[in-house]
Amino acid sequence: MKIVLKYIINNIKDRKMRTAVMLLSIILSTTLLFVSLSIGESYSEAQKKMSRGMAGNAELSISLKSNIQDTKNLITTDVISRFSSIRHVVGIVETGALYKKDGYYENFDMIAADLTELSKINKPRLVNGGEITNFTGNIIILPERFTSKFDIEESDPFVIWINGKEYEFVVGPIAAYDTIFLRHTRGTNALVPLETLSAILGSGDGYNRLLIEPAQGLETSDLQAELNEKLPEQYTVSRIVNETQVEASAREKSLPFFLISFFSLTMSVFIIFSSYKVITLERLPVLGTFRSIGATKRTVKNILMLESFVYGGLGSLLGILIGPTILQLLLNGISNTLSQGVDIPMIISPINIIIPCAVTIFVSVLSAILPIKRASKLPVKDIILGTVEEKTVSRRKLIMMGVVVFVLSIILPCIGQCMAEKVLFLSGGLSITGLLVATIILIPIFVSGISSILERIYGATLGNEGRLAARNMRGNKNINQNITLLFISISAIIAIATVGNFIQVYIGDVFKGAKLDGFTQAPMTHQFVKKISQLDGVDEILPVHVLNNQISLDGSKLTCVECTEDIAEYADMFAMTYENERDRKQIEEVFKDGRNILMSSDCMKRLNIKVGDTVLLSLGSKSYQYFVLGSYKIRFTNKEAIIPSYCATEDFGVHNYGIVAYTSCKPDAVMVQIRDLFGNKNHWSRTVEEFNNDALGTINAFFQPMRNLTWFILILATVGIINNLLINHIQKRRTIAMYKSIGMSDSQNIIMTIIESLSVGLIGALIAMIVSWLEIRTIFLVAGPRISIRPELKLSTFLIAGALGICITLIGSVVPIIKNKNMKLVEELKFD
Amino acid sequence: MNKYAIEAKNIIKDYMIGNVVNHVLRNVSIGIMPGEFSVVMGSSGSGKSTLLYVLGGLDNPTSGNVLMNGRDISQFDDTKRSIMRRKDIGFIFQFYNLIPNLNVEENILLPVLLDGKKIGNYKKQLKELLEIVNLTNKCNHKPHELSGGQQQRVAIARALINNPSIIFADEPTGNLDSKTGTSILSILKEINYEKNKTILMVTHSKEAAQYGNRMIYVRDGIVG
Repeated sequence: MKIVLKYIINNIKDRKMRTAVMLLSIILSTTLLFVSLSIGESYSEAQKKMSRGMAGNAELSISLKSNIQDTKNLITTDVISRFSSIRHVVGIVETGALYKKDGYYENFDMIAADLTELSKINKPRLVNGGEITNFTGNIIILPERFTSKFDIEESDPFVIWINGKEYEFVVGPIAAYDTIFLRHTRGTNALVPLETLSAILGSGDGYNRLLIEPAQGLETSDLQAELNEKLPEQYTVSRIVNETQVEASAREKSLPFFLISFFSLTMSVFIIFSSYKVITLERLPVLGTFRSIGATKRTVKNILMLESFVYGGLGSLLGILIGPTILQLLLNGISNTLSQGVDIPMIISPINIIIPCAVTIFVSVLSAILPIKRASKLPVKDIILGTVEEKTVSRRKLIMMGVVVFVLSIILPCIGQCMAEKVLFLSGGLSITGLLVATIILIPIFVSGISSILERIYGATLGNEGRLAARNMRGNKNINQNITLLFISISAIIAIATVGNFIQVYIGDVFKGAKLDGFTQAPMTHQFVKKISQLDGVDEILPVHVLNNQISLDGSKLTCVECTEDIAEYADMFAMTYENERDRKQIEEVFKDGRNILMSSDCMKRLNIKVGDTVLLSLGSKSYQYFVLGSYKIRFTNKEAIIPSYCATEDFGVHNYGIVAYTSCKPDAVMVQIRDLFGNKNHWSRTVEEFNNDALGTINAFFQPMRNLTWFILILATVGIINNLLINHIQKRRTIAMYKSIGMSDSQNIIMTIIESLSVGLIGALIAMIVSWLEIRTIFLVAGPRISIRPELKLSTFLIAGALGICITLIGSVVPIIKNKNMKLVEELKFD
Repeated sequence: MNKYAIEAKNIIKDYMIGNVVNHVLRNVSIGIMPGEFSVVMGSSGSGKSTLLYVLGGLDNPTSGNVLMNGRDISQFDDTKRSIMRRKDIGFIFQFYNLIPNLNVEENILLPVLLDGKKIGNYKKQLKELLEIVNLTNKCNHKPHELSGGQQQRVAIARALINNPSIIFADEPTGNLDSKTGTSILSILKEINYEKNKTILMVTHSKEAAQYGNRMIYVRDGIVG
């Protein structure tokens, strides 16, 4: 055993180049897998953090029922003092305020709490990294996103209106758009001293609500039940976020990261497998020597397996050690954006450490077993004499197998579309895997065909070196391996970039395809809406009644129900699509003819309701049966259902409108008039352009890690390809030496290597562009039923990724060129 | 005008093994006449193969000069050496050294392609060489589809395609059985005799050595 270990250690030590290449492959693969898995989880966590907004660690909120609360009748912390199952409680005083600058009106929420208590559930973070001190008097702390928008600096005077009265504050240290300033909904939070806001509002020791963090180990639902049971009737206890909804939303937004993990896994397996194949073949003579001196098949197998295990173990350990540093860099970037934006928590779960380690060790050992198993069946004489020939699968069989898998992978998601959602997802996964596998199978055949064409083209344009370079690609396993790795890398980048961009547009540009140019949200009377319609520049308006957290459906409270008189106009205005678009005409015809309800797909799923069902809508003591006419998908607001306006008025006594959307060729001018119309009254009015610009800041912060990760993948792909080129160089050294021995000069070698690399890059890029288009098609076919807009594929993304791949291959050819120049011909040629 | 096809003058070749200097060739001077079939013999590690590689320009001497057809190849840069290898000499190795993914015909024509010539002009030579090495019916086969003897015959044809004046052979029969080895040596003899090629062959086999018309013994890096 000792001698075996010594042999293995010496092997690793002596063959520095090979050891470096092998370890690099495994480290890269482990790190890539670790980072892609962890970043997805961290991103999900960030999504949850954003959904929680200012609540931080708090899970529950206690407030007085809306019909009871007024400024003189607030909640105090005394009501929960007897509950031992509460870890932290923070009383929040809040009010709406209005800021005016250069004719621009900005509504925001003013928050005040005991700073020490607040810090326990959600500590405010300052841009300069310091602590909030001397937080008394008329100081106001604003997030950087707000101050940069209005060009406000620390110590500037800050005049605002609260309930129509003017107050002057002084801007304190600027806060990051994070922790208590983070909002799930649009708008801005500002933090002021508790005593200041209490004095302005006259709230004394009372709060608008209490934020509760349950004791450690206690289920939130248990605490909520206990509070509901024991608190007096006038209090309402609600969950701060709907975990299921947040999880679902985070999962949806994490799709690019899932894709990244999928491609990372494929790349990892391929990089490791190709590296091991090389070293095991290289080791065949040693294997023969061992066998010739009496080692059993088992002993030889164990030696090689142990060595693979050492490589796998060492590489994965190093990969995991490097992983967290890279993850941190990707999550927060190395620039100072961290101080200004959302601090995305780094989540390193044991499973995300175990999976990459297990995968790399498993693939390392498996990659070693397959060639060893094959080698162990070979006659000892052949191994010793080096007369082992690689078994080749018939070309016809390969073509048939590849084409069948390829075609099946293309049609599978189309078939899956007619099946249940789970089957559709499964068919999507199989389709992407199948596309990759089929392409890997077909690459040698494709390369062989295309190299014949290139042989003629290069022969005519680049002379014999070109002809030889093209010819040399035919039946060349190294070249096929390189093209395969390149294609996987490029298609990964294209797919990730396209899906990532799509999700960014999907989340960010919620009005894509919508008719409206601007909207305003506030309680508005019929007369007020009429005034809006008469404003200069307004073409069309659509007033909508809004019922937030008021209507119950079969006993379940709906977050938001909207009511419209014209569902067709509503659909156009807000880019609403029906789950079954074929029913559009029928729905739009009959919607207003009775108690009909349209429900969002998610809400129907949540409440287990189907089209055609009859549901009971209730508000207070009034309850009416509604017919479920259809389901829809919409990205603007979280509305769960839509009912006809007249029903809302007659059944539930709703008169004021909540939203007015408008179309105009000069939306900015209309917006100024609308803001003037509101004066000092609270409202939320935005043009679509303004809204998107506001949203962009947050979305950019959240998508930065994904962009960073795409670059990281590109870097890894580069290193992987260069690594592969080095492995190829080890394999090809003898061939180059043979060429040199019959008269190939260094300059001819350079020309041939460059032509070869360029061709490899071109072929790899071409295959990647085609396959990634098919992969993206599959992804969107699978995601189709869940999304309401059609994705746009940018040709530039495909071309840029392809060009990058070609550049990487060209860069990667530099090392072999240098190495070949210094080659010791005799050493390479003398021994077989 | 130099009378030798190949001339070595005071060749010294040292290798470093760790910190120890290994003197492989010690002040070797030798001349090979045009048309000679010289056989270099010596025990294992005597330096015979190193001498062949130095004379053939695949390796550089530590000191001394090698003249090929009167030109000092030790002064050649890579380009000149490469041109020399593809035009003036042909190499035959023990392990054939054929390009695995090229077929017989393509392997034979490689030096022509590297020389920038049109392979169409070499159809006649190719046919003739395939007949000499008796591989006419194997021209589309890949190396792995051939026996060791057939592969070595491809290597011989490749060495001759550009009609070089000198052929270097390093243990050309070392990897072959005696019957096949004999056929390879016969071909080399035929080439030497009928085409008047200068051949320098390294071998440790006395039987193989009998095919040459001059013996050069190397012992401990010295030509005896």
